Amino acid sequence: MLAYIIRRVAQSALVLLIVGLVAFAMFRFVGDPIDNMLGQERTADDIERLREQLGLDQRFVVQYYRFLENAVQGNFGVSYRQGRPVIDILMERAPATLELAAVSGILAVLFGIALGVFTAIRRKGIAANIIMSVSLIGVSLPTFLIGILLIYLFSVELGWLPSFGRGDVVDLGAWTTGFLTASGLKALILPSITLGLYQMTLIMRLVRSEMLEVLRQDYIRFARARGLRNRAVHFRHALKNTMVPVITVIGLQVGAIIAFAIITETVFQWPGVGLLFINAIQFVDIPVMAAYLMLISVMFVGINLIVDILYFFIDPRLRVDRKGGH
Amino acid sequence: MFRFFTAAACAAVLVPAALVPAAQAEEFSWAVTTDPQTMDPHAVNSTPVLGFLNNVYEGLVRRGKDMSIEPALATSWEPIGTGEGWRFHLREGVTFQDGSAFTADDVIFSYQRASSPEADTASWFAPVSEILQVDDYTVDVLTHSPNPIFPDSIANWMIMDSGWAEANAAARPDKESGNHATLHTNGTGAFRMTTREPGLRTVLEPFEGWWGEAEHNITRAEMTPIQNPATALAALLSGDVDMINPVPIQDVQRLQGNPDVKVVQGIEARVIMLGFPHEADALKFSAETEGNPFADVRVRKAVAHAINVPAILRTIMRGNAEPVNQLVSGAMRGYSDALEDAPAYDPEVAKALLSEAGYPDGFSFGFKCPNNRYLNDEAVCQAVTAMLAQVGLTATLDAMPVQNYWPELRADNYDMYLLGWSPGTFDAEHPIRFLGATPNEEKKLGSWNFGGYSNARVDELLPQIQSEIDEPTRQGMLDEVAQTLQDETAYVPLYVQPLVWGTGSNVTLTQRPDNFFILRWVSVN
Repeated sequence: MLAYIIRRVAQSALVLLIVGLVAFAMFRFVGDPIDNMLGQERTADDIERLREQLGLDQRFVVQYYRFLENAVQGNFGVSYRQGRPVIDILMERAPATLELAAVSGILAVLFGIALGVFTAIRRKGIAANIIMSVSLIGVSLPTFLIGILLIYLFSVELGWLPSFGRGDVVDLGAWTTGFLTASGLKALILPSITLGLYQMTLIMRLVRSEMLEVLRQDYIRFARARGLRNRAVHFRHALKNTMVPVITVIGLQVGAIIAFAIITETVFQWPGVGLLFINAIQFVDIPVMAAYLMLISVMFVGINLIVDILYFFIDPRLRVDRKGGH
Repeated sequence: MFRFFTAAACAAVLVPAALVPAAQAEEFSWAVTTDPQTMDPHAVNSTPVLGFLNNVYEGLVRRGKDMSIEPALATSWEPIGTGEGWRFHLREGVTFQDGSAFTADDVIFSYQRASSPEADTASWFAPVSEILQVDDYTVDVLTHSPNPIFPDSIANWMIMDSGWAEANAAARPDKESGNHATLHTNGTGAFRMTTREPGLRTVLEPFEGWWGEAEHNITRAEMTPIQNPATALAALLSGDVDMINPVPIQDVQRLQGNPDVKVVQGIEARVIMLGFPHEADALKFSAETEGNPFADVRVRKAVAHAINVPAILRTIMRGNAEPVNQLVSGAMRGYSDALEDAPAYDPEVAKALLSEAGYPDGFSFGFKCPNNRYLNDEAVCQAVTAMLAQVGLTATLDAMPVQNYWPELRADNYDMYLLGWSPGTFDAEHPIRFLGATPNEEKKLGSWNFGGYSNARVDELLPQIQSEIDEPTRQGMLDEVAQTLQDETAYVPLYVQPLVWGTGSNVTLTQRPDNFFILRWVSVN
């Protein structure tokens, strides 16, 4: 297992390097940051001087090398837009995204599994059919539309919930949290539903189909024959065996939730890293874009690694296979 | 390492929500699309930065509700001798927000800071040779040549406390890595900044020690950037914010029917125009055309006649903009009243001019346009493209984000382009210097004249305009330049961009054409 993990870590590092290279190759097409940094009264000399100062006159491979050189020392550069270290800005923004992603993820997993099991067990019931039909909305409507619809209903029309932002936050030193204030909790509701809806319906549909599959298996029939109660059959035996694909999907979706938070954060003006990234693109803030992309790819690679390792613990067959068979 | 907040601190955060409504009535919040990138008044010369900081910092002079220059930190000023410069008499008894006194030292320091190579505002001081301290409350600004508009050109030159800046290692602006003044302020203005969280919120509270008399009734003001127009609109409609800027043009009509909100409309200083490659030898994006048709004034005139500006304003701008015949709007100093109207829409005249120039069947070319810089810019360009097609000019429209747009223009990758210009000095001399003068790196002239338009008479008049003290003589020269630019169709001015702000129905404010939001003119009822 150790060799397996080492191999996966090495592969991951290679993936990260390539992602960075591709990112730096593409920054040129995002635009030129110089015009945003200099005012109306700049001259051609000013432009050249700043370009040289920022190293933008170098080829992208050189820029990438410099970025890596600094990054391994923990220095991600200074934001072109804010004139502050990128790492400070990211640390400031990360709690907002992580809290939002955590709440959406938990909502998606809890409701997804519960509704999935329910619609599988009662698959002919009216309630289950209504849930299945409504869930189509979750997978088919784009996130920003759902967000705007929720804002118009709950903020503009009903006036129950705030239309944007994170509410009041409590500063815990290295972390700011919205969990401790009433306005912070209220502000979480709409964005976390918007962000988690797609994942919830995805998990629900997956659990349902896996569950239906499992319920047809012989061992379930034997379990019933043994006279086990329905609850034990469904949750102890059936649900547990549907979990391998579900965990894979959940693992991948954790990354997706954080990465796709960009859209939700833009709609709700949620002050997280996704919104930061969007602003960085508009301003061609290369240090912020580079750090964000590297952060997201580290996260995806890390999550995949963890999911792979988790298989070992959930599915004993994998462990046996790796040891060379029976 | 963790500084855990005590229960009391948590309670303090919760309390504002429980306050009685009366106390909240004077709290004001507003949404902007672009967060000011710095709090340093000399580091970035842009509207979001200077507009916001005008509430915190002050200059020697400031602009009133009608854009006229009025006393601020200087109580009066007069020319020295026969145009050697200007003498400013400073206001006594003014204190900065940290309590230190305002004196001539701070003016000298702010001049050195704002005109340093690190600053983005240095060009304002190009005419200045020296600033001398006469006594604690008098300074002399000496200029290389007589400069009648100097007091007009420094309304955004904000005075910073020398002691504060030096104590905090911010004696010079630092655009690249920032310093204390990037996140903190210490001005003499009506409001002081109590919280600055870049990209999140910026909180202002009235400065108790301000020298002026407060017109507003605000106890606390919060600025939040909201980039998504639909979200900003929802925030206004739900009462989460009291003011948004801008309101999307297409939503204006709907808001006007809503009793809870008001739409405040006006004309911005920005003129939208078309530009041409005057200097180019050949078109860049034409398959069949040899040479550069746009070098011929008849072709440029044909373009002007082919575009139906009133129709563009009626449909795309929904009646919210005004046509214009020169490079500045009527609200600017030095606007040429004498100039005749812009060429009228007349496709037949356009076709005749094209035939005369040797292009009876028109020609094809590339038209570059930004798609996120000006209000509805891409839609305007599409309309222009369609109108030009009717006289045989086949434009291939290439619209792109502004961060890609300027590099394209600098690299001369266009046959025609769209440009908006807002004169920083609010004077007609400004666009002549940047757009009309022959590009000259050394003299810092024509730096936005991408097409390289060049006219010896305009180049000759510009320095005279800059140093002419006598108002009618100066206006006569400005009129002549405006006439020349129109006769030669150096640019095709289309319209003045509108300003559309939305507020709650209980808010009264003043909208200025420079798109600055001045908090001390706001009252909430």
